[in-house]
Amino acid sequence: MAAKVLRNIVHKKVTEDLEFKDVEFEALGFQLKEKIDKVFGRSLAIRELDAGSDNATEIELNNLSTPYYDVERFGIGFVASPRHADVLIVCGAVTLNMEIAAKKTYDAMPSPKFVVAVGDDACGCGILNESYAVLGGADKIFNVDLKIPGNPPSPKDVIRGLFALVCEIKKQKA
Amino acid sequence: MSLLEQIERMIGPLGAVEGKNNELYVSVSAQELQRAIPFLSTTGYELVSLFCAQDFDGLGFTLFYVFEKAGFKQALVIRTDLGDDETVSIAKTYPSACWYEREVADGFGIQFHGAYDTRRLFLHETYPQGFHPLLKSFKNSKIRTVESSEKNQYQFKQMNGEGVCHVAVGPVHAGIIEPGHFRFSVIGETIFNLEVRMFYKHRGLEKLAEGKTPIECVKIAEAVSGDETTANAVAYCIAVEKICDVAVPRRALQLRMLLLELERVYSHLGDLAGMCVDVAYPVGASPFFVLREEIFRQNEALTGSRFQKGTVAVGGLTRDIPADALKSLSAYLADFKSRFNLATHIDSSFFSVVDRFETTGIVKSELLEPLHITGPIARAAGKAVDTRVDHPYDLYAELKPKLITTESSDVLARFYIKSQEVNDSIRLIQMVLSQLDGGLVSVPWEVKDGYALSIVEAPRGQSIHWLYIKNGKVDRYKIRTASFCNWQAIEHAVLGNIVPDFPLINKSMNLSYAGTDL
Repeated sequence: MAAKVLRNIVHKKVTEDLEFKDVEFEALGFQLKEKIDKVFGRSLAIRELDAGSDNATEIELNNLSTPYYDVERFGIGFVASPRHADVLIVCGAVTLNMEIAAKKTYDAMPSPKFVVAVGDDACGCGILNESYAVLGGADKIFNVDLKIPGNPPSPKDVIRGLFALVCEIKKQKA
Repeated sequence: MSLLEQIERMIGPLGAVEGKNNELYVSVSAQELQRAIPFLSTTGYELVSLFCAQDFDGLGFTLFYVFEKAGFKQALVIRTDLGDDETVSIAKTYPSACWYEREVADGFGIQFHGAYDTRRLFLHETYPQGFHPLLKSFKNSKIRTVESSEKNQYQFKQMNGEGVCHVAVGPVHAGIIEPGHFRFSVIGETIFNLEVRMFYKHRGLEKLAEGKTPIECVKIAEAVSGDETTANAVAYCIAVEKICDVAVPRRALQLRMLLLELERVYSHLGDLAGMCVDVAYPVGASPFFVLREEIFRQNEALTGSRFQKGTVAVGGLTRDIPADALKSLSAYLADFKSRFNLATHIDSSFFSVVDRFETTGIVKSELLEPLHITGPIARAAGKAVDTRVDHPYDLYAELKPKLITTESSDVLARFYIKSQEVNDSIRLIQMVLSQLDGGLVSVPWEVKDGYALSIVEAPRGQSIHWLYIKNGKVDRYKIRTASFCNWQAIEHAVLGNIVPDFPLINKSMNLSYAGTDL
C-alpha cells in the first residue's frame, strides 16, 4: 500500500494522448477562451435546464466535458446551481409540468444573465408545437438571446453558438 | 398445452380469439377478467402493459391487458370492452398495474374501483380537473392551465417518526440531467423510503400521433427517448409493417440490427462511464467516454446523425449506408474489444470502485415479476429475459444474442452485465458486417387499417409499442418503454442505502425520464 502511494506521488502521470485531429474545434475553443477571458472574467458558468427534451441534447452537452472536447480548457463550466450561472441553456420545448420549475430556475440566477435555447424543440421548430402539453419553445417564457437549432446540435455546434453569444455580448458592452 | 388451452381452462370457453404474428388477442368481459386475474397471477403470467383505446371496435372504451409468460413466444392480449367509464382495479394482484391504471385514468377519465393509489400521474397540478387529453372529444390544442394551490397539491406519502428527515430533490437537478422529483425519507444518512414523482417532461406524444399518417409518426417514435432513437423507431416501424404486411428487404433488416446494436453499445458505454464518475473515479470513466464518442462519430458516418435519427423508415431504411462507412466501421471495431476490455478490467479490479459497487442498490428478485422489471436490471438479478431471445424480431432469431445473467443484483452486477453485453453487441455487429447482403433497403408499401403490437429490446430493456391505424391515419399509438417499469424498481433498490449512493444506483439503472414521461 505504502509503495503504491509513493509510486503515485513520484511516478510519471498515467495519461495517454488522444488522436484528436479536429483542428477546427480546437481553434474555435481557444478563440472562445480568449473572448471569455475578456467578457466574463475568465470563466463562463452555464446552468443547463431541461424543460422537456428527448434527452439527446443533454447527452451532447454532457459530451462537452468528455476527453474529446473537455471544454473546461476554454473556461466553460457547467454549474450545479443557477445562482452561480451566467448563462441558462434551455433544452426541449417547455412543458406545462415544467413551467414553474423553469421560471424559478431563471429567477434564481443573478443578473446580468443570458438564455440560450439549444435544440429544435427549445428553438420552437420541433415537432411538439401543436401539443397540448407544451407551451412551445424557450422564448414562450424567457427572453432568448441565442438559438442553436439541431436535433440535437453537435457539441461543435454548441461551441460555435456560444462563440457567437460571447461576441454579441462583447459588442453590446463596447 | 397451448397458451390458448391454458387460458380456456382458466376462464371457460372463449369468445373472440384472434392470433396474429406474435400476439394472441382474447376478448373477455370485465367480470371474466376479474375471474381470470388471480389465475393468471399464480400461473406465471406477467403483466407487461395495460392501456386503453377509445372507439376501437364500436363506441366506448377498450382496455388492453398485455401479458407475457416465460416459454411462450406469443404475448397474450386480453381485451375488455367497457360499458361505461369505470372498471375494477387489478393493482392489488398486479402492483405494476398501479401506474398503468393511473395513466389510463389521466388519459381517458376511467375510474378504477378498489385501486390503492388514485392520484393523478402525468397530469400535474397545472392541468385542470376533469381534463383528459386522450379522449377523442379533445382536439389537440393549447389549454387553460390552473394555478397550483393548497387544494390541488400532489399528496406525497407521509413518513413520520423520531429522527425522520425529508430530502426533496428536483425536478431540476444539480447537473445536466433530466427533470424528476425524488423525495427521500432518511434516518441519518440511510434511506428508508423514496418516492419518485415523474412526468415533468410530459410532452403529449401519444396524442400528437393521433390523426397523423403512419410515416409522420416515425419522428414521434424517435423523440420518445433520444438515446433509444433506433430502438423505438424500429419498434414503431415493425408495428406498421405488421399491419400493412410489408416485407422488409434483407439488407435493411441487417442494417437495422447493426444500428440497434451500435445504439446498445453507446448507451451501455455511457452507463459504465457514469457509474465510475459517480464513485469519483473519473480516470476509469475516461476510456468509456472516449469509446462512446467514437461510436457517436461512427453513427454520424453511417447515418448522418450522431443519434442515428432519421434513418429507420417503414419498409426498411430512409437511405442506404455508404459502403466506405461500413468498411471503416469494420476496421474500427478490430481493436475495440481489447481497448474496451482493458478499461473494464482496470475498473473492476480497483478496490475502491468495487467497494462502492458491491452490495449497493440491490433489486430483490421477488420484485422482478410483480413490477415487471426488465432489461439489464432484470438480467443482473438472475432473470433470463431478453426480448431479442424471447420474442425474436427482425433478424434476431438468426443472430442469436447471448443471454447473459448474474445473480447478485447490485451495482457491480449491472456493471458486469452491461460490459458483457457491449462485447456481445460488438460480436453481433461484426457478424452482420461479415454477412451483409446487397440489394435495396426499402420497399414501396401501402397503408392498411388494423392494429398490431410490437415488442423490442431497447438498451434499457423491453419496449412495447401498440399501434392502431384507422382510415389510413394513426388512431392510437401507445408506447411503454422499459424505463416506465424500471423507475418503480429504484424506489425499492435504494432502501437501506445511503443518500450519496443514490446517484450511483440511478446511473447503474440508467432510467430515461423522457421515455417515461412521453
